[in-house]
Amino acid sequence: MIWKAIGKSVIGTSHIQNNKLCEDALVYTEVIHQNESIFIAIASDGAGSALFANQAAELIVNRGTKILIDWILNDLPINEAAILALAEILYDELAQEADNCQVPLNEFSSTFLGAVLYKSAAIFFQIGDGVIIRDDGIGGYAAIWWPQNGEYINTTSFLIEDKQFPNLKISLIHEQINEIAILTDGLQMLTLNTETLTVHQPFFTSLFKWLRLAIEVDDVLILNEKLSDYLSSEAINDRTDDDKTLLLATRISN
Amino acid sequence: MDDYISFEQIPFGSNSFADNPEPRCPCVLLLDTSGSMAGKPLNELNEGLKIFKKELLNDALATKRVEVAVVTFGPVSLHSDFQTAKDFYPRELNTTGDTPLGEAIEMGIELVNKRKKLYKENGIAYYKPWIILITDGSPTDAYEKAKTMVQTGENDKAFAFFAIGVEGANMEILKDISVRQPLKLKGLMFREFFLWLSASMKMVSVKAPGINTTLLPPTGWTEL
Repeated sequence: MIWKAIGKSVIGTSHIQNNKLCEDALVYTEVIHQNESIFIAIASDGAGSALFANQAAELIVNRGTKILIDWILNDLPINEAAILALAEILYDELAQEADNCQVPLNEFSSTFLGAVLYKSAAIFFQIGDGVIIRDDGIGGYAAIWWPQNGEYINTTSFLIEDKQFPNLKISLIHEQINEIAILTDGLQMLTLNTETLTVHQPFFTSLFKWLRLAIEVDDVLILNEKLSDYLSSEAINDRTDDDKTLLLATRISN
Repeated sequence: MDDYISFEQIPFGSNSFADNPEPRCPCVLLLDTSGSMAGKPLNELNEGLKIFKKELLNDALATKRVEVAVVTFGPVSLHSDFQTAKDFYPRELNTTGDTPLGEAIEMGIELVNKRKKLYKENGIAYYKPWIILITDGSPTDAYEKAKTMVQTGENDKAFAFFAIGVEGANMEILKDISVRQPLKLKGLMFREFFLWLSASMKMVSVKAPGINTTLLPPTGWTEL
């Protein structure tokens, strides 16, 4: 294992108030193939008023990760075409679920964002809001894409919106990424400076600091529990009532 | 590196957050203060506004985000311009005249357009504006232009227009004006109304091709 990662999806206060489930989902894992350790993470944020938002988000992260692992273990390159194919499979599976439940497809509206990190390459992908952040190589953090909301802050695009995926962004980078964070829109206003279009550096440096210091697996597990507590804390809930997901992953220096 | 760190004890978390202007959610109330509202309906409407303010103040985020403007009719008058709940002091409404509903709607839409322009100029993120008409009667003016403006605005996703009929309202005319099904209010249940609003908003303007966006069903505050 060459990655240390912590990540949680935590229910927002408005969802608790309305007796809803957490409609954010996150899966991250590391897969070893031909002596290379590859880190995979996918997050999804179900649309507030979609009836099956929770199921849609869960399907996207669980199936998405599983398919990527299968492809990697079968020597398939994870490139732009693979990500597009992955989105198509997920679209079909969501459509099948909607059909099974006899509801319109938009009841399975959910965003889709993630990354596959190789030793010296990385691919990022995203439909809808939320943000993926990477180390910029000089001690800071930068967003892969600035989140695209519509005219209104609460409107965005979803995986099931269009099978041509006009809103799917993919970026293949041929360099070593050492740290990434993925977060859903519940944390966007807290971590991004919308005026200057910059990442709020202190937020990430203070969290990554501890993850870097953790050496034992147990320490990482403790941090993961602390992340849960932090995401449910008053400091966060005073600023957002939405579900929130945060993943932090750091490469163990080699 | 020899220093032992007890991870159980560390202060994990960050208290440093981006300092962004709070996103705003503009809400225009078009309130019928015509003669027929005299007495109990108007008292309840006045009471409703106070409850509305109180309910907004009960919610940390709604307090910061929701901006309320009030237009009364008739005659059509800007009773109070956009204010967050803290600064929103609904003056007692009095019955004033007839029911120029068309003109009131036109003013409400202009208010929203001006507000959005101001948000954009100041880099403030915002939610889809809501225009809420509350009436107990029938329009006493020509409402064709207002009707067109409502329908164009809804089509362009420029705002969401809701017509709410109090006992005695001409629901047929409200149905003619509003793209959305007008609702018959049960009491003045603003709290339920605004819980419903925030839960519904995330998908209000999002539409998959060929599929109509569905709002959450109104909860408890309507007779429908």
